[in-house]
Amino acid sequence: MAQNDTLVNGWQPVIGLEIHVQLQTNTKLFSPAKNQFGEEANTLVDLIDMGLPGVLPVLNDGAVKQGIAFGLATNAEIAKTMVFDRKNYFYPDLPKGYQITQLHYPIVKNGVVDVEGKQVRIHQAHLEEDAGKSMHDVYDSESVVDLNRSGVPLLEIVSEPDIRSAEEAVKYLKKIHQIITYLDISDGDMSQGSMRCDANVSIMRPDDKEFGIRAEIKNINSFRFVEKAINFEIKRQIKVLESGEKVEQETRLYDSVKDETRSMRTKEFANDYRYFPCPDLVPHEISEDLVKKVKDNLSELPEEKQKRLMETHNLNEYDAGVLCADKSTADFFEEVAKEADAELAAKWIIGDLNALLNKNDISLKESKVNAVNFSKLIQNISNNTISGKIAKDVLDEVWQSGEDVAKIIEGQGMQQISDEGELEKIIDKILAENTSQVEAYKSGKDKLFGFFVGQVMKATQGKANPGLANKLLKNKLG
Amino acid sequence: MNKIELKNLLFLARLQVKEEDQDKTIEKLQNTFEMIDQMNDLDLDKFEPLNNPLELTNVSRSDEEKNRNKKEEFLKKSPKSDEDYFVVPKIVE
Amino acid sequence: MNFQETRNNFRKKQVSAKELTEESLKKAKEKSELNAFISHFEEYALERASNIDANFDEFKDKPLGGIPIAHKDIFCTDGKKTTCASKMLENFIPPYESTVTKNCNDAGSIMIGKTNMDEFAMGSSNETSFFGPVKNPWGQSLVPGGSSGGSAACVAADITTISTGTDTGGSIRQPAALCGITGLKPTYGLVSRWGMIAFCSSMDQAGPLARDAFACSALLNAMASYDEKDSTCSKRESIDYEKGLNKDFGKLKIGILKGIENLGISEEVLNAYESSKKILEQLGHSFVELDFTELSSGICSYYVIAPAECSSNLSRFDGVKYGHRSEAKNISELYLKTRAEGFGDEVQKRILIGSYVLSAGFYDAYYRKAQKVRRMIKSKFDEFFKDVDLVFLPTTLDQAFEMNRESTDPNRMYKEDLLTIPANLAGLPAMSLPNGFSKNLPIGAQFVGNYFSEELLLNTAHKMQEVTDWHKMTP
Repeated sequence: MAQNDTLVNGWQPVIGLEIHVQLQTNTKLFSPAKNQFGEEANTLVDLIDMGLPGVLPVLNDGAVKQGIAFGLATNAEIAKTMVFDRKNYFYPDLPKGYQITQLHYPIVKNGVVDVEGKQVRIHQAHLEEDAGKSMHDVYDSESVVDLNRSGVPLLEIVSEPDIRSAEEAVKYLKKIHQIITYLDISDGDMSQGSMRCDANVSIMRPDDKEFGIRAEIKNINSFRFVEKAINFEIKRQIKVLESGEKVEQETRLYDSVKDETRSMRTKEFANDYRYFPCPDLVPHEISEDLVKKVKDNLSELPEEKQKRLMETHNLNEYDAGVLCADKSTADFFEEVAKEADAELAAKWIIGDLNALLNKNDISLKESKVNAVNFSKLIQNISNNTISGKIAKDVLDEVWQSGEDVAKIIEGQGMQQISDEGELEKIIDKILAENTSQVEAYKSGKDKLFGFFVGQVMKATQGKANPGLANKLLKNKLG
Repeated sequence: MNKIELKNLLFLARLQVKEEDQDKTIEKLQNTFEMIDQMNDLDLDKFEPLNNPLELTNVSRSDEEKNRNKKEEFLKKSPKSDEDYFVVPKIVE
Repeated sequence: MNFQETRNNFRKKQVSAKELTEESLKKAKEKSELNAFISHFEEYALERASNIDANFDEFKDKPLGGIPIAHKDIFCTDGKKTTCASKMLENFIPPYESTVTKNCNDAGSIMIGKTNMDEFAMGSSNETSFFGPVKNPWGQSLVPGGSSGGSAACVAADITTISTGTDTGGSIRQPAALCGITGLKPTYGLVSRWGMIAFCSSMDQAGPLARDAFACSALLNAMASYDEKDSTCSKRESIDYEKGLNKDFGKLKIGILKGIENLGISEEVLNAYESSKKILEQLGHSFVELDFTELSSGICSYYVIAPAECSSNLSRFDGVKYGHRSEAKNISELYLKTRAEGFGDEVQKRILIGSYVLSAGFYDAYYRKAQKVRRMIKSKFDEFFKDVDLVFLPTTLDQAFEMNRESTDPNRMYKEDLLTIPANLAGLPAMSLPNGFSKNLPIGAQFVGNYFSEELLLNTAHKMQEVTDWHKMTP
């Protein structure tokens, strides 16, 4: 159970993640209302989502297929029979006073996910309905409820406590994100809540036989916060145990501003969910035929795409792997590579573009860079319209403004100077003005070549075609 | 059943019983449990639980949209609402 | 007032829908002291009747064309108040229509109002209604039975010839027996539950009440339909129950329970039952004795499962989206006050029982065990139906009793359902018809059939009603 490289002050952290994924079906899990984010409040609410007296749920087989897809992609057992249960509790955004979920007979069980060589097991993934949203900042002494989200299908993915560090947890989360986006069953957008993560964290001594008491951390809405929240919690639990106290089995909320976890106000009475099979629904048998049908229609998985990119675009394994880590990046690359040179595109995406994304901590989708425009950038480098150095500036501009690449190059006069005659004139002028350096170079100070290159660049505001400038300089300097 | 168990039950069900009536409530409930407990005399080993008399399986619908939303009407039906939301007393997490 | 005659008269244009409706409305006013109705829809009914008269050709062949009907106030009627006899829904107007009422509308019936019932269908005497008890037309200090007491009283008092009810533990059959009319609980899954306010989802079933089997068959024709909006509804080819009345099912083997005299059934009810057996013999049927010693365990099982499911079904009544809401300073108070004010005592009691039997630590001992008893009872019936076509037994332990009845047994009211509950647990169809009279009060007996044998039930009852007059007696 202990993994030496993950010990913290001699303690072994043990982590399990519960990931809620909103499925991308047309309609909700048990009602035919549209499943859509961001619409005007309370417009996507069906009679069934209102929990009106007398309404009844009917299962959406699109959600079943998406659940099966996830099971296939994680080598899991697909249930022969799945059953829906009611989880009873009161909350204003839970219209029926119970959530329909799956407790004992979930759609998927015993999966496994490879996280950079380590196997993280999935205990189960089950289908359940999402609750509505309540908001507390519209009025002073009142809260408001929007039921648009009520009934949206969720796949709750519960891992075994196989994770041993915050870092590993993020990698696992990213792997799940990769799977669900590749399967096209969710857009996995943590900022919009289509992928949500709760972490169960406990610590133990490496030679303990049993896990320690775990705390559940909720309200983590980005990859970065997952790592921070877990790290905070590990340190907090160490402090607690080392001071002779016990860790409470409780739910804690992560505060991203203060970077700490806080205990939720404990209720006087524990919540007993009184699960029982939902009498308005019937058991659902999943046939081998259906599983086969889903399998035959499965979208291309990361490993397949990687292989294909290597073959089609002559990429090496590493580059293809990096591009395929995130589906949106892979799709971006493919779009770019339609018109532009693949290898160059790959280099720029993996290098400069990724650097910008990481530095600003946003996703490709959220950025102002679109594939068609980026493709133009690469094409302009390939056809020598701009130098690689200038291209970096163009990319910066695109990042800031989203402006069309051609317009930027035109507008800022960034075209490379590739005219031999023009460059020669500039070089001649530089050599004439720097005779001592010319002398020094000719007498053996080879390093001064860089100085001349620099001067050419300075004189041309970096627009000189580097290859041509080098060639001409060499000719003139001898 | 003691008063603490009753209070717990009342919380789960979100119901209220005045302190002075709680003993009576406990008595009423226990009368029913006494009747129910006669089940314990039966030998039920060979019987699996029955959830639904017809034991139907596999009822589902295709993933097609049907718009039955009536936002204004739904909101008007609520005891308190504004033009966009259902309004309730402040929820404190 | 005979349904068949009335319908024939309408079809022959000897009476108009408007006249029939006016008469029902008049009777409803005259008999208002019975408190059988929660809502009257006079204007609507008359308008609808006029519409039907104006489109006579469209409605003349429909099973309920031109016939006034009363619906139990448990069915959601679009734009029309539906209260479930509770303060919680005192002013609730549903924004959609239940399948049952829609079907009855499509069949040409005219709804004159919504009938009184036990609150949220919980009760066997119609005394738990927020709108006051219903009185038995045979004696106004007596209960009509429940929970479909209003619907039964309405038919017994000849306000309408047909009404709808629901039966979860006997709530159609028992009031039918106490009011001297005929009532059928269909097989679970025959009639859609869409729009029917849920009490115990795995047992609730809507069914017809009328004086005789003929009217019940016409009403069942209208009510029953496959509905894809109800996942527990059975997809079957539809049967014309009216036509089925003329079939010849031959000599039937009818099951009777051994030791029926030891179940605490009154002498009057037993006598009527024995007389009925003779009539069945005369009709050519024979009897097979069945051993059902576990019969009484049905009550134990029912009073675990029904409260359990209802405790969950009634959680939606929280004052947030619709229905009653109390003044409250915070959410906690909102729930507690709204539910304590909105629900009556019996409903609150059953919610507590239900929450208890589902709670951690008790689930296996109560809920799971009760589901096993349920399986046991179902398998008993499966065994019976290998040897018999129908089972025949009394509907109630006794005739209509006094309101506010005192009892040393706190569970007396629950035990009233002894004979009706087993069919609900097993999901089997069962039908009560009047089979006797004593002390100026009606008596009923019931047939229980195998799954989807409504045709046989109605046919058998109909043949009995061809040679008896109990169903024709009026208060």
